[in-house]
Amino acid sequence: MSRIVVITSGKGGVGKTTTSAAIATGLAQEGHKTAVVDFDVGLRNLDLIMGCERRVVYDFVNVINGDANLRQALIKDKRTENLYILPASQTRDKDALTQEGVQAVLDELSKEFDYIICDSPAGIERGALMAAYFADEAIVVTNPEVSSVRDSDRMLGILSSKTRRAEQGEDPLPAHLLITRYSADRVEKGEMLSVEDVQEILSIGMLGVIPESQAVLNASNAGMPVVLDKESDAGQAYRDAVARFLGEERPHRFITTQKKGIFGRLFRG
Amino acid sequence: MSANPSPIQPIEFKGRMILVSILKLQPAEPAVLQEALEARMQEAPDLMRDMPVVVDMDAMAGTSAQDLLSVLETVRQHGLKLIGLLHSEASAPLADRTGLPLIVLGPRAGSEVPLRPAPPPAAESTPETPAEPAPAAPAPHTPSLVVNQPVRSGQQVYARGGDLIITGAVSAGAEVLADGHIHVYGPLRGKALAGVRGLESARIFCRRLDAELVSIAGHYRIAEDILDSERGDNRLITLSGETIKISEI
Ligand SMILES: Nc1ncnc2c1ncn2[C@@H]1O[C@H](COP(=O)(O)OP(=O)(O)OP(=O)(O)O)[C@@H](O)[C@H]1O
Ligand SMILES: [Mg+2]
Repeated sequence: MSRIVVITSGKGGVGKTTTSAAIATGLAQEGHKTAVVDFDVGLRNLDLIMGCERRVVYDFVNVINGDANLRQALIKDKRTENLYILPASQTRDKDALTQEGVQAVLDELSKEFDYIICDSPAGIERGALMAAYFADEAIVVTNPEVSSVRDSDRMLGILSSKTRRAEQGEDPLPAHLLITRYSADRVEKGEMLSVEDVQEILSIGMLGVIPESQAVLNASNAGMPVVLDKESDAGQAYRDAVARFLGEERPHRFITTQKKGIFGRLFRG
Repeated sequence: MSANPSPIQPIEFKGRMILVSILKLQPAEPAVLQEALEARMQEAPDLMRDMPVVVDMDAMAGTSAQDLLSVLETVRQHGLKLIGLLHSEASAPLADRTGLPLIVLGPRAGSEVPLRPAPPPAAESTPETPAEPAPAAPAPHTPSLVVNQPVRSGQQVYARGGDLIITGAVSAGAEVLADGHIHVYGPLRGKALAGVRGLESARIFCRRLDAELVSIAGHYRIAEDILDSERGDNRLITLSGETIKISEI
C-alpha cells in the first residue's frame, strides 16, 4: 500500500527540502519505490538538491493542467534505483495547485509508488495546506529554537484539523518530529533549545536529530542528497531517521557534545 | 459610614475582558437566514439570551440594506444583545441607521483553525458552522467538553455552557475558554479563560502553570503579572473579589 508523507514545518528555511531529498533517497535505497514531489511552486529547490535541475522538462503544474502526463514529468534519479522526482514549476503562481489537480496526481502516483514524499513550502497558507491535505503521515521539521518550535506546534494543530483524514473524522495522521541543524555545543551554552525541551513542547515521537553540518552545504552544492555521504554526521543521522521511519529502533546519535579526550581537557587549561 | 472617607473616583476605567460572539452571515435568501437563526436559537435559548454579539457581514456585500436590517432585527428579537458590526463594505452604511458602532478587529492568529469536533456535540466555537440538527430535548445539564488531543498554537476551544477538560497540553499561542471551570491535565502554556460569561466562582486547575494569560469572569492576569513563584506544578486559579489568586492544589 502506498503512503503519502508530507515534510512540513511552518517556518521557512529549517531543512524541509534537505530532509525530503534525504528521506526519499534513503527509502529508495532500502528498496521502496519512492517519488518525491516539490510543492514549492515558484521556488523550485528540490531539483537542485537532487541534482536533476538540468533534466526538468515538465513539472507538477504541467501535469495538473494536462500539458503533460505524469510519466513525462517524472524524472528518474540517476544515482539511486527506485527514486523519481516530480519538480515544481518555477514560473507559475501558487494557485496553479488545485485540490482536485493535486488529488489526481497523488492518486496516480499511489498506484505505482510505495512512498510519496511531499516537500511542503514554508508557511501555513494554501501551498503548505495543499502539500499536507492528502497525507497519511507527516514529518515535522524543527530547528531547536523557540520560533521554529512554535510554528511546528501550529502546524501540528493544522494537521489534526485541516487534512483530509481529519475532515473525514479518521484518526489524526501520525506525525514524527525531526530536529535539524542541532548543535550540541550551542545547546550546552544555552543558545538553543535541547532535544528534551523541544520534545516536551511538541510531545510527538522523535524520528531523529540531524546535526548542524558542513556536509549538508557541501552536498547541496554538489546536487547530491546528503544521505549519500555515508561518512558524514548528517548523512548518518538521516540514515538512522529512515531506519526508524521503517520501524527499526536505533539509538540517537549526535545529540551530545563530542567528549573531550584527556588532551582536550588538559589544553583547555 | 466612615467619618473620613477616602476620596472616591467618580469614574474608573478597568481592563476587563468580556466574551463577545461573532455572528457571521453568509449570503443567502433573507428567509433562509431568518430560519437558520431561529433554528440555532432554539437549540439553546437560555444560553443565547443576552449573549453579546458582533455581526460580521463581510460576505454580504450585494445584499440589500433592507434585508440586512431585518436580519439584525431578528437577532434582537431573540434576545441577543447586538453590540456592534464588524467593519465591512456591507456594514458601513448601516452604522448610522442602527446606531451600532463599526468595529475593526486586528488580525488574529486564532480562530482559523477549528479543532476537529471533539466527541460531545455541545462544543461549538464557530458560529458560522451550519447548525446541526437540534437535539430533541434540552439535556438536564450541560455536559463538560472533554478534549483528548493537545490544544496547539493557533487553536481555540470554547466549552459553551459548561466545563472544559483538556487531557493534554495547551501550547503557547493556544486559547481555551469555558463558561465554567477549566481543567488542564498537562502544562498550561497558552491562555485560559474560565467563567467567560461572568461566573465568578469558576476556577482553572492545571497540572503545570506556565500561562500567557489566565482569566476568570473577565478579570485577568497576563504572563508578566504572574510571578515565577506562582508558576509551577499543580496550580489552582481562583477569583477573590477582583483579584486573580494562584495557589498550589
Ligand atoms: N543539518 C544542516 N546543517 C547545516 N545546514 C543545513 C542543515 N539542514 C539544512 N541546512 C541549510 O539550511 C538551508 C535551508 O534548507 P532547506 O532548503 O532544506 O530548508 P527548507 O525548510 O526547505 O526551506 P524553505 O522553507 O525555503 O523551503 C539550506 O541552505 C541548507 O543547506
Ligand atoms: Mg524547501
